[in-house]
Amino acid sequence: MTELRIPGSLSSPTIHCSSQPPRLYMQGDSYPENAFDLYQPVLQWLQAHLSAADATLNMELELVYLNTSSVRVMMDVFDLLEEAHREGKQVAVRWYYDPRNERVAELAEEFREDLSLPFEIQPHS
Amino acid sequence: MQTTDLFALQQRYSEQGILLCFNGPLSSSLIEEIGKALRNHMESQAVTPSSAMDVFGAYIELTQNIRHYFVGQAWSDAVATVVIARDADGHYVVSAGNRILAADGRHLLQRIAALAGMDRAALRAAYKEQLRRPREDASRGAGLGLIDMARKATRPLHADLQEVPDGSAFFSLTVTL
Repeated sequence: MTELRIPGSLSSPTIHCSSQPPRLYMQGDSYPENAFDLYQPVLQWLQAHLSAADATLNMELELVYLNTSSVRVMMDVFDLLEEAHREGKQVAVRWYYDPRNERVAELAEEFREDLSLPFEIQPHS
Repeated sequence: MQTTDLFALQQRYSEQGILLCFNGPLSSSLIEEIGKALRNHMESQAVTPSSAMDVFGAYIELTQNIRHYFVGQAWSDAVATVVIARDADGHYVVSAGNRILAADGRHLLQRIAALAGMDRAALRAAYKEQLRRPREDASRGAGLGLIDMARKATRPLHADLQEVPDGSAFFSLTVTL
């Protein structure tokens, strides 16, 4: 059982990866100058977690603003999930957003349209 | 010694609708702090969350591009001029300028002119293509950030280059949201 917690800051989201239950949670804004450095441990955790033949993962996002450097890294994250999905592993994404801010839904939609894995974009109630 | 006429400066800022401005070495923590001030301002003006995010996003991309450029050139202190204003129609206008190699500046002017000629669909396609480019090529030249700003702007990006004889120049970019 591995767990990864990265506390959030003004420019970086709160990140929690857990293998029991298998879940990756990210909440907040993401605009660090070098997003790749910030997300490197997350990408490593994901690769290790998804390498198991029976791996499953629920990704729950409450991300709001992403700078383009973070968008690039998120694409890498989704590529890993998509690969696992193609291998028949149960992975799913749910991205929650504030319905007053349609930019977040548009951003999520641009990721979703390039993917075939289950991906829900849900307004907060 | 000549003293700075702050009153004249302040009047000029007011006339031009300048809400926030900065001139000097731009650190990443300063980018965050000015960003916070910008967000607070927009909240107080009841700007919608999506519009506020567009303005904030343009500010972040512009300033971080400058920081990345200085790191790429191995120049110390990323000295920049950043101005956030509101025009007569109520649009937010975010501008940033910095020293640049004249050749890089000319290259940027070409790219921005190319973006100005694209419609929404073409910008979207360019964005997706740039996103899929290998990171090594993409890290140089503010590729994705420029397209992102062009997509969110309500008018074509406006760039200006003032060259000086020693091969350097001052480049500025203005995004109207």
